[in-house]
Amino acid sequence: MPKSKHKEVQILLVEDNESDAILTKRALSKVNLANNLVHLKDGAEALDYIFARGKYEERNPKNVPRVIFLDLKMPKVDGLEVLKEIKSNEVTKIIPVVVMTSSQEESDLIASFKLGVNSYVVKPVDFEKFSETIVQLGLYWMVVNKTP
Amino acid sequence: MHTPENHLEQLKLTQDLLAKLNKDKLLTEKELASVVEELAIQIKEKEEKVKELDELNRDLRHQIELTEKNASKMEIAVKELESFSYSVSHDLRTPLRAVHGFTRILMEDYFEELPEDSKFYFEEILKNTAKMGELIDNLLEFSRLAQKSVSKETVDTKSMVKDIIKELKLIEPDRKVKFIIKDLYPIKGDKNMLKQVFYNLLQNAHKYTGKKDKAVIEIGGKKSGNGIVTYVRDNGAGYDEKYADKLFGAFQRLHSSEEFDGTGIGLAIVEKIIKKHGGEIWSNSKIGEGATFYVSLPEK
Repeated sequence: MPKSKHKEVQILLVEDNESDAILTKRALSKVNLANNLVHLKDGAEALDYIFARGKYEERNPKNVPRVIFLDLKMPKVDGLEVLKEIKSNEVTKIIPVVVMTSSQEESDLIASFKLGVNSYVVKPVDFEKFSETIVQLGLYWMVVNKTP
Repeated sequence: MHTPENHLEQLKLTQDLLAKLNKDKLLTEKELASVVEELAIQIKEKEEKVKELDELNRDLRHQIELTEKNASKMEIAVKELESFSYSVSHDLRTPLRAVHGFTRILMEDYFEELPEDSKFYFEEILKNTAKMGELIDNLLEFSRLAQKSVSKETVDTKSMVKDIIKELKLIEPDRKVKFIIKDLYPIKGDKNMLKQVFYNLLQNAHKYTGKKDKAVIEIGGKKSGNGIVTYVRDNGAGYDEKYADKLFGAFQRLHSSEEFDGTGIGLAIVEKIIKKHGGEIWSNSKIGEGATFYVSLPEK
């Protein structure tokens, strides 16, 4: 896992499932979006990383990801909690967050949007469709969408 | 003149009268006594009957208590089962995605080196995992339905049906299907769920007329009692009435996957929704000539 002290992080992928992470990274690398991708496996570490504290206190806090791909169901600190913290901080709340999840639960959907998620995507079983979805999202938030 | 003979005569008469009155009194006393006895017996009978009724009442109350306890036990069990099937299907999707994904990667990355035979086997793996994904999605949908509550609004059936037909045409633009829209009346119910009902029925009609040159699907309704009966009729493959009781069973099919693709959950979902709305669904069919499905739902 790269120590992105100096490299500018583009995509932060927070995903506890190894297979899903591999598939996601592969899909993104096909459109050259995986070069500056940081992959973290749980919500607690993700928060430490984003706010440059704990394990990541040597990180430059100004070096924020351009988009965060966030899984919902994770051990320790789950996706919704991470989302809440990100969106309630003045500096980090402008980062676009894409929640990717296996859950189609209405309550998760509502909770995410109430917390200010930018996109909510349900991970399909079909790899092709999964790749297409990831790629579209990656391209949109990295290339098409203009963020401050 | 009061002569001694007259007096005697008078006395005798009075004596006779008194004797008669006494006799009458005795009779009346006797009658009263027997009436009182009769009443006492009746009262005893009534008291016994009241006792019996009280006991029956107690038994009934006890039975009601037991039934209520059982009913709530069953409710809990059903809810547990539904939440279980929800978590299981939800958790099954992740490893399935891995199987599907990595198989696809194998094919992509090693396409040149793979022997021709193996490509077929890989395709089969992909096809089956996709199918499994579909089954899980359907199971998820079906089990979630039971937990959803029905919202009541007036639904414009006609415009809903028109939208669905547009969607079907978009999905399969090459198919030439004639849609006949007859009278359609507004229905009171949950908009999303009702859309699912008509979508599933129309999609079925669309699917099972797939092998007909001139596919015709008709949809209409009529007022019946205090509700609306809406029907969807097609001239497609139809089904064998012999197995009609399996028609609405979850994952039950009356056609093979080779003939028509599907998981057998469409009608099960429709039935569940209709039942939730307090309505009814029934159908008839002739093999090779088509099928008609009827749903009755409350009016606005």
